[in-house]
Amino acid sequence: MLRYLRLLGQWALDWIAALGRASLVWFWSLAGLPRRGDMTLLIKQIYQIGVLSLIIIVLSAFSIGAVLALQGYTQLARVGAQESVGLGVALVLLRELGPVVTGLLFAGRAGSAVTAEIGLMKATDQLSSMEMMGVDPLHRIVAPRLWAGMICMPLLTLIFNAVAIWGSGLIGVGWLGVDPGGFWGGMQDGVEMWDDVGKGMLKSVVFAMVISWIAVFQGYDSTPTAEGISVATTKTVVYSSIAVLALDFILTLVMYGEFK
Amino acid sequence: MIRMRTLEISVGAFVLAGILGLVFLAFRVSGVVVGDTSGNYVLKAKFDDVAGLRVRSKVSLAGVTIGRVAKIGVDSETAEAIVTMEVSDDVDNLSVDTGARIQTEGFLGGRYISLVPGGEDQLLTDGDTITNTQGALVLENLIGDVITRLGSK
Amino acid sequence: MSYVDGLQDAPLGAIGPECSVRERWYSCAALNHPGHRTQVTDNLIEIEELRFSRGDRVIFDGLDLVVPRGRITALMGPSGTGKTTLLRIIGGQIRPDSGRVIVDGLDVPTLSRKELFELRKNMGMLFQSSALFTDVSVFENVAFPLRVHTNLPDEMIRDLVLMKLNAVGLRGARDLMPSQLSGGMARRVALARTMALDPKFIMYDEPFTGQDPIAMGVLVSLIRGLNESLAMTSLVVSHDIHETASIADQMYIISDGRVIGEGTPKVLREHPSTMVRQFMLGSPDGPVPFHYPADNFLDDVLGDA
Repeated sequence: MLRYLRLLGQWALDWIAALGRASLVWFWSLAGLPRRGDMTLLIKQIYQIGVLSLIIIVLSAFSIGAVLALQGYTQLARVGAQESVGLGVALVLLRELGPVVTGLLFAGRAGSAVTAEIGLMKATDQLSSMEMMGVDPLHRIVAPRLWAGMICMPLLTLIFNAVAIWGSGLIGVGWLGVDPGGFWGGMQDGVEMWDDVGKGMLKSVVFAMVISWIAVFQGYDSTPTAEGISVATTKTVVYSSIAVLALDFILTLVMYGEFK
Repeated sequence: MIRMRTLEISVGAFVLAGILGLVFLAFRVSGVVVGDTSGNYVLKAKFDDVAGLRVRSKVSLAGVTIGRVAKIGVDSETAEAIVTMEVSDDVDNLSVDTGARIQTEGFLGGRYISLVPGGEDQLLTDGDTITNTQGALVLENLIGDVITRLGSK
Repeated sequence: MSYVDGLQDAPLGAIGPECSVRERWYSCAALNHPGHRTQVTDNLIEIEELRFSRGDRVIFDGLDLVVPRGRITALMGPSGTGKTTLLRIIGGQIRPDSGRVIVDGLDVPTLSRKELFELRKNMGMLFQSSALFTDVSVFENVAFPLRVHTNLPDEMIRDLVLMKLNAVGLRGARDLMPSQLSGGMARRVALARTMALDPKFIMYDEPFTGQDPIAMGVLVSLIRGLNESLAMTSLVVSHDIHETASIADQMYIISDGRVIGEGTPKVLREHPSTMVRQFMLGSPDGPVPFHYPADNFLDDVLGDA
């Protein structure tokens, strides 16, 4: 019994130590002024992290928007409120699904790629040799990826929301025959720029920071072996996903407070 | 190895796509209206029951949205609800006996305030209170009434 | 922080090639004026009483060594004695628990980030895995230190890179990607990169490991040649007695966290310590035992029956 307690304590201390290391990595990556050539690195990373994620985001967005329209229509048609399907889908997407699903997809695709890349650079001594050449790997390798993640994810969320809503419109109006005036008009009447779009984007920004941080740290902190990299990428996906879902719950409570 | 130029173009296109998405969400989805440079003025109204009315519910005149509910409070002395509305400056010819009714959109829709024009010459100005009000129709009360009436026959 | 100039006053006879570095040090010290530091100007690196542990494992327990300028010094020892760790301590990547690590007059563990940055410009390290940046070409790899540390225009950088690649014989391979290079070629490119800023001092971490005889010969001649023609100081960590002995001016054998033998290869082969001789001759059994500690053989085998 005592042994398990000790293991638990050890695990907790390890976790806190890792959090400390992660905070140092985060701080030292972002400290310091940008230098000549940093912009090139950043653009390259935005391409790797953002542009290459577009396909999966767009495809998922369209599918989810379409499915929401289908399911929503069926249920609302029971009480004759099928014109509200536009509003319903838009609210669900903007407030919840958009940021959360984009976050999960992003963590899985871009997050794990970043972790694997940094982990591999660590395992092949590239980070070490950079350090020995007087170049700070935190500034050159880690920082561009952190910033790129924080920039790309909100953009991807915007694209996700737009494509999903457009997809739902395509299915709802084009296929299921919902009156376009009711669909779009009802949506416009009920959707608020700040309350729905804005707060959803705020969630997405928070998710972006957390996912980028986790991805970059897991790579930097990984054990420099093949197994170590595999463990690190798994951790990135798992921790990011849990963090996104938990933060979503907390942020929803905070932002849309009056539930009772 | 992709050339730098191609890279920059695709990153630019990506950011542009994001901005377009935002524009779409702003105008087509949430109905932000540009060019509506008129301001708002404040009107108040007291109701005995505002069940279901929320902040940001719409205020309409003849079915056209002319404002939003800004605040919902309580007057503890008279046990009434005080609703503060922001009405567009374009609508400046509401008479002092304008009626305010809380209605429901459709069958299951949200509540909104409908303004019914009156006939007096004197007009409402910023900060005035509408006195001619009718509270929300609460479905349960209505059914309760009907049952009572049927029962008493 | 200047060293004493007493060396100039020393009669030439007091310092000769047959003396070990320690003897040179002591003889010079005896001639110094009182009140000056007793340190020789011809040592680029001096390590005194170095102690370092990782967790429970003691890695260095009072290590002393000196690396004289302009010479090739070799560090050898059984696997796992922390030779790579020592290189990292010299480079300032790891901080020792105690002891002094003087590189070119500076106490490395006490340097600030900025001072360390300056020091590393003059120092090069060749990793065992060559550690080339896999996402850019050979040319860009060699150009990297130049782009980062200098403001030179592109044409000059191009010229410098081609010169360095030429020195290692790989100028024609400039547009290849690291994944297209053989191990030996990758190491030569890494060497060119290390030399890009003309460092005074290069550390080689196992440069000969896993190389075919030709590649090995190339590397050996490169290390020797560069060291002489550019008046550099080299520190080679290696397992290869034969290759290393052919170029090293002096060698240190490290075991159990301390230096157990030092001197020229010839001196070490006749060293009084059996451990040193076992290492130099490559004998399978000796102070470093063949058998991992275990119970009696017959008992173990028959015990299961």
